[in-house]
Amino acid sequence: MSFASPFRFFAAAAGVLLAVAAAAGAPLPAGMLRIPAGVYVPQQRSAKDAAQVPVASFLLAEQPVTNAEFLAFVTANPKWRRAQVSRLFADESYLQQWAGDLEPGPHAPAGAPVVQVSWFAARAYARWAGRRLPTTAEWELAAAAGYTTAAGKNEPEYNRDLYAWLARPVPAILPAAAGARPDFHGVRGLHGLVWEWVDDFNTAMVTGESRADGGLDRDLFCGAGAAGATDTANYAAFMRSALRSSLKANNTTSSLGFRCAQDVTPALASVP
Amino acid sequence: MKTHLLFLCALFAARAATAAADAPKPPDACCSQPVPGAAAFSRESLYQIETKFTDDAGQSFTLGQLRGRPVVLTMFFASCGYACPLLVTDMQAIRAQLPAAVRDKAAFVLVSFDTGRDTPAALRKYRTERGLDAGWTLLHGDDDAVRELAALLGVKYKQEADGMFSHSNLVTILNAEGEIVHQRTGLRGGLPEAARAVVALAP
Repeated sequence: MSFASPFRFFAAAAGVLLAVAAAAGAPLPAGMLRIPAGVYVPQQRSAKDAAQVPVASFLLAEQPVTNAEFLAFVTANPKWRRAQVSRLFADESYLQQWAGDLEPGPHAPAGAPVVQVSWFAARAYARWAGRRLPTTAEWELAAAAGYTTAAGKNEPEYNRDLYAWLARPVPAILPAAAGARPDFHGVRGLHGLVWEWVDDFNTAMVTGESRADGGLDRDLFCGAGAAGATDTANYAAFMRSALRSSLKANNTTSSLGFRCAQDVTPALASVP
Repeated sequence: MKTHLLFLCALFAARAATAAADAPKPPDACCSQPVPGAAAFSRESLYQIETKFTDDAGQSFTLGQLRGRPVVLTMFFASCGYACPLLVTDMQAIRAQLPAAVRDKAAFVLVSFDTGRDTPAALRKYRTERGLDAGWTLLHGDDDAVRELAALLGVKYKQEADGMFSHSNLVTILNAEGEIVHQRTGLRGGLPEAARAVVALAP
């Protein structure tokens, strides 16, 4: 094989590289990891709910959204700044740990997960970033992974860390998201950092008519219904479900952040 | 009245202009769209969302089009065999309790959870079956639109494995500016209070 000109050589070399890249699939978007298809087993379900929910493969952010990333969002979108946001979309404590509208300050380190954000704000961020929030089924499927297997509930070390976190109060200043230990899929901080919004949080109904049951609203971490759960050992999943069912979309708390997800597009389908 | 009309015309013109300027951007169903002329709607107004719904005549519909009228709004789905028929009947009962002048002005709005089955055509059929006149607006939205509106109203809902929906039973009353002034929860009682809340909105 000979090349008549350096140009043709480079063109051929580039062609080979492209072929290799195509075989391997396009690279995943920065910061996103692929979660393989699986089955989500809801912790609580009515008689009419499916016992198992199949979940297609999807992309999930390696880390929750940080203060630095959220700062970029509010800088570009003034209506999401603390002083300008509508009460309809975020309650009074929205970003209250920040020093100013465009200044996270000492209580919100750049690399720490952003908290005190509402569902509306989380959703708006995800759209701005060209992504979306994960569904409950997607989030729970990913979060079922342990450190070394896809089923963390069988790993003593994973269980120990998870319940130790649940027992610890939320620190005044959250640690960096990047410092969290990666799980089996490489995802960091699904447990052990902050709770996270999911897109369909308002599907969680602890009772048939949560709205009429005013007592539920403030019991953000009530786990009293765990006796009716599918797997009583999975108390943590029940707590997440109880939290979701008690939230309103404009609520913000000091331990609630979010991360982004994305569909697997055809171009990404061949990525291992 | 005339000034009101002028104001509305100006508002629509402003919105149309802004919409044209925004045209190259992809449609955004979420609340992240800047509201044209931020002074237009209050910070508590549901009309800040510019989410596009489709009415049962197939026309595009944003909630802001209801501005200026008292609104009685419920989320439902047409194939519901239990609570929804009762909710619609309750809305009709609220309507029957209004003085004629208020009744003629008020908008009764049904928004479906069932993004798959409750197409504009299915909603049109529902309108006929239930005998709902021009005072009623029946809306279809995509999944994003419906989830966002439910979140704003505090409605929880979930599609069951059999395709039906579990949902909160909630009738919401909005004032002329699209602010929530009253919510009636559950299926029992509360109708006279709801009707009074609508009457109280009359100027």
